Amino acid sequence: MHAFLEYTVTGLTVGSFYALVALGYTIVYGIIRLINFAQGDLSMVGAFLGWTLLVPLGFEHLPIYLAVVAAFLIPMLGTAVINLGILQFAYKPLLRRSLLAILITALGMSLLLQNTVLLVYGPSIDAYPPNLVPATGFYVGPVHVTYVQTALVAVSLLLMGGLVLFVQGTTIGTAMRALAQDHDAARLMGIDVDAIIRVAFVLGAMLAAASGVMLGIYYIQIQFTFGFLLGLRAFTAAVLGGIGNIPGAMAGGFLIGLLEAYTTGYVSGKWEDVVVFAVLIGVLVVKPTGLFGERVAERM
Amino acid sequence: MALLEVRDLHVFYGNIEALKGISLDAEPGQIMAILGGNGAGKSTTLRAISGLLRPRSGSITFGGRSIVGLEAHVIVGMGLSQVPEGRRIFNVLTVEENLNLGGYMVRAHRELVRTRKASVYRLFPRLAERHAQLAGTLSGGEQQMLAIGRALMSEPKLLMLDEPSLGLSPILSRSVLKTVRQVANQGTAVLLVEQNARQALAIADHACVIETGTIVLEGDAATLAKDERVQKAYLGGFEAMASG
Amino acid sequence: MIGLLADRRIGRALASSREQLTRFPFWVRVIVFLAIVGGVVLLNGDNYVTAVAVSVATYAMLGLGLNIVVGFAGLLDLGYAAFFAIGAYTSALLMTQAHWNFFATLPLAVLFTGTAGAILGYPTLRLRSDYLAIVTLGFGEMTRIAITNWDYAGGPNGVWNIPWPSAFGYEFNTQAAFLVVSLCLLAIAMIFAQNLDHSRLGRGWVAMREDEFAAEAVGVPTLRLKLLAYVMGGMWAGLAGAFFATRIGTIDPTSFTFQLSVLVLIVVVLGGTGSLPGVLLGALVVVALPEVLRQFATYRILIFAILLIGMMLLRPQGLWPRVRRKPKPFYGLRDDEARDVSEEILREHQLQVAARGRHLAKAGHPEVGQGEVLLKVRNLAQQFGGLRAVEDLSFEVLRGEIFSIIGPNGAGKTTVFNCITGVKKPRQGSIEFNGRSVVGLRPHVIVSRGIGRTFQGIRLFKLMAVFENVMAGLYPRHRAMTWQAMLHTPGERREEVQTLQESRRWLSFVGLEHAAGRLASELSYADQRRVEIARALASHPQLVLFDEPAAGMNPPEKAALVGTIRKIRDLGITVVLIDHDMSLVMRVSDRIAVLDQGRLIAMGKPDDIQQDPRVIAAYLGREEDELDLAEARGA
Repeated sequence: MHAFLEYTVTGLTVGSFYALVALGYTIVYGIIRLINFAQGDLSMVGAFLGWTLLVPLGFEHLPIYLAVVAAFLIPMLGTAVINLGILQFAYKPLLRRSLLAILITALGMSLLLQNTVLLVYGPSIDAYPPNLVPATGFYVGPVHVTYVQTALVAVSLLLMGGLVLFVQGTTIGTAMRALAQDHDAARLMGIDVDAIIRVAFVLGAMLAAASGVMLGIYYIQIQFTFGFLLGLRAFTAAVLGGIGNIPGAMAGGFLIGLLEAYTTGYVSGKWEDVVVFAVLIGVLVVKPTGLFGERVAERM
Repeated sequence: MALLEVRDLHVFYGNIEALKGISLDAEPGQIMAILGGNGAGKSTTLRAISGLLRPRSGSITFGGRSIVGLEAHVIVGMGLSQVPEGRRIFNVLTVEENLNLGGYMVRAHRELVRTRKASVYRLFPRLAERHAQLAGTLSGGEQQMLAIGRALMSEPKLLMLDEPSLGLSPILSRSVLKTVRQVANQGTAVLLVEQNARQALAIADHACVIETGTIVLEGDAATLAKDERVQKAYLGGFEAMASG
Repeated sequence: MIGLLADRRIGRALASSREQLTRFPFWVRVIVFLAIVGGVVLLNGDNYVTAVAVSVATYAMLGLGLNIVVGFAGLLDLGYAAFFAIGAYTSALLMTQAHWNFFATLPLAVLFTGTAGAILGYPTLRLRSDYLAIVTLGFGEMTRIAITNWDYAGGPNGVWNIPWPSAFGYEFNTQAAFLVVSLCLLAIAMIFAQNLDHSRLGRGWVAMREDEFAAEAVGVPTLRLKLLAYVMGGMWAGLAGAFFATRIGTIDPTSFTFQLSVLVLIVVVLGGTGSLPGVLLGALVVVALPEVLRQFATYRILIFAILLIGMMLLRPQGLWPRVRRKPKPFYGLRDDEARDVSEEILREHQLQVAARGRHLAKAGHPEVGQGEVLLKVRNLAQQFGGLRAVEDLSFEVLRGEIFSIIGPNGAGKTTVFNCITGVKKPRQGSIEFNGRSVVGLRPHVIVSRGIGRTFQGIRLFKLMAVFENVMAGLYPRHRAMTWQAMLHTPGERREEVQTLQESRRWLSFVGLEHAAGRLASELSYADQRRVEIARALASHPQLVLFDEPAAGMNPPEKAALVGTIRKIRDLGITVVLIDHDMSLVMRVSDRIAVLDQGRLIAMGKPDDIQQDPRVIAAYLGREEDELDLAEARGA
């Protein structure tokens, strides 16, 4: 039982990273039906931007709150700008044309981001300052929970809450949900579809960058390849929850995190992916639109 | 000069010419009915005016400005609103959220959105009762009211309706059309696409009949209602046999 | 400007030389081309260049297989490396553990990968393509991890010392020899892929890719075709994998990553999805470009990524897009065929219907006779999201009559058609055709039971020629096997010619023989509707459902339509018609049902319907409504 709770804590922590990246996939997919394969790599870019601020630029020596806030906000903005650039130059010309071509472009973008980072930062592993957040923790009953875990889960819940408020509570958010259903009807409301797509890309990139910085703080070590694996897990999470569905992406993220932690704990780390994908395929066979996905109305 | 002037409009789907030179006008306070069978080009005309389709040639001026080639959302901002065929309300949003989106252009002025919503609710009290309900769960008639209410949220100078009576009982469609008349009487120009010719001609001021992409008849609605050619061209043998 | 002119001139020259080339059959062209390429590379004699050429050939083989899945069938696959791995390991283990000859392992490698395709395909058939992306990706990763953890196959170290292939005492152990073997395998893969593309199966795939819903509704078994695409795609990869194993000599799980799946997908899409020469070109770019860029060392992949994005932006359709085969309609048919095709059609139709009748009678389901109840709908109900589309509807259609369903838009007419053809499962009620229930059957099964249909919004396969559209409608009537299609056997050829002949007859039946070779999307609405009718008739139905066939037609076209509908009835086919044009409906129908708000409000002969006050009220509104509304205007 004790072990089970420990795994649960780890699973929830990692799951919150997945959930953030999965939200990016889901928001963009919901609006333009594009699987933005560069999503995970945006997270990696965010992690490196955060590292640049903290280590080479010495932000780690600032008071901790200032350092953390800057290390989150600046990468989030920077990544958002990058994602807007990607949208404008690589995806926009292909929207409404060939979905397959745009998918390949997205895969190319993923390669491009990885190799740009490789070029700038080199292939070696960089390390976040290990004591940014005190490494100690506290006990909840028998289970040891670190401050880092608590803080990270709290931040991601905060971000997710903010996103939900934005999407549910504002007119722009309502427009995003409307666009997911019917582009033409939305245009007839006077909604500038391109502007909303830009909003989605900004939000997706910001969430991805935040998760990247969190990953850096949690695992300390970062390398230019981690975005790919993260993206894969997050994409799986988004599909598991029902791609295009916001609560689904969050639930999917936590679910995959837990699944992974339990598999590693009880079976072996070797079989992580197999279990994750087996569950995914099992769920899709039973419910082809994912756990929370709605039936998409078939056109007649 | 009329509020909306469409001249010699040609629209193609691929190689197929769907509109072969349509010209029509819409004036404030007046209803222009566009009649014709399924596939004749009625919806295409509306979609070309609202910017959802690009015409191959021809001119569309609205309030003296050409609107050919403008994005649909820009045209909406100029005061032209369309209720699309089949209502196309946002099923996943609530009634209230649907109306909020209708007021998207003025979203920064919360007060304005609120007063306009209030007047839509006055026009359709049923919507007020169901304001928190998901739009997908409304009945057909309520969905049509919502679609019209949503279009009115932008206080358009020109309202275009594509088959508002679709799937409604005669009583309901009559009440919907009456509302449309009320809207027009307040000074809005209305373009009304209808398959229910008799009802449409009864409330319209002017009308035209489209057949395979061309206007074959046009004129005063009351005159057209009595015109034998309308009965032939659009109502087929039904009208003739109903009276004979 | 000059450049443009030159371009055009070159284009013209290319076009004419292409025409020259197409005089030779495809297999000759493939063999000659590959022989020349092989000859040039071998004469060059550079071992490095030869090795790169072998890699290109391997990727091309993989690309051809994935092209069947992605290009022909339109299914996304991001886990294709798994098939490559299964093929490689099967062959490698058989050679190292059981000491089989390389060539003897090929059938098993192909068999295993084909089976793997079925295993992957079966549970995923109903998924939309975006979901397929992740499921196939997962399949690829699972396979790789399973191999990594499989001790018998060497775990992470893989299989070592895989022997060279040998045949007739000759051992293939130089790059040159491998090039020869790989080009031979590639030629086989090319020719088979081409034959598949141009068979009934290929037509089914294209139809499915263009409009899955319509394909199923005209009788193409889409689920089976998807499964078949996975199996075929897997088999190609098995071949390539086996070859890869023996050539490299050592295989381990790191050769079969997601990156490989992506590279193969790039080969297909970059070359031009669905295009066979495109695959060759794509393989060349994907393999050779990084080799050329080798001098840039660390920048290599970066430049590759930029070039890849650039190429996709400039040519979203691929470098060598699939050219639509200039259709030579009725190629190989006698022009002096009997002019009176209707007679021919009648005979053919009677033969087909009689054959089906015998078949059904043998199975204990005799058909109903003339004038008896052919279609029986009882208490049908259907609703969508709170809207009742059809409520408690019952009616019967007699064999041999023309039965019309009328009512205002939104009355539920099309919903009735969708329930009958299996597109929508009714909430309640029963539908019997020929005395047997059809509720719950897949649409293509219902087509083979003898019900054909057209669609309100025209749903032709837009990028197929008109005659190919009609041929797609013949899908359920023919039974050439897949292997026959692949080998292009005489039996298959005969059947293709028959199919062609029949589609020609149906086209002349609706008066469109002259437009046979044009793309469906180039025709006018009226002609497109006529093609839909021909496509529906091609399956030799007993009952056809026409959904607003007159929409968008002008009066002369409508008059011609009346004639066509009567001719169809004269063939012995029962017709159910939905339309708004009252004069047409009244002229042609034996009986009419009137729907309003999803309910049946009247049914009877045209004369009775015309006098029914309820019908007139529902359809036209009442006189007092007019006064009421006119008052509003006066206000």
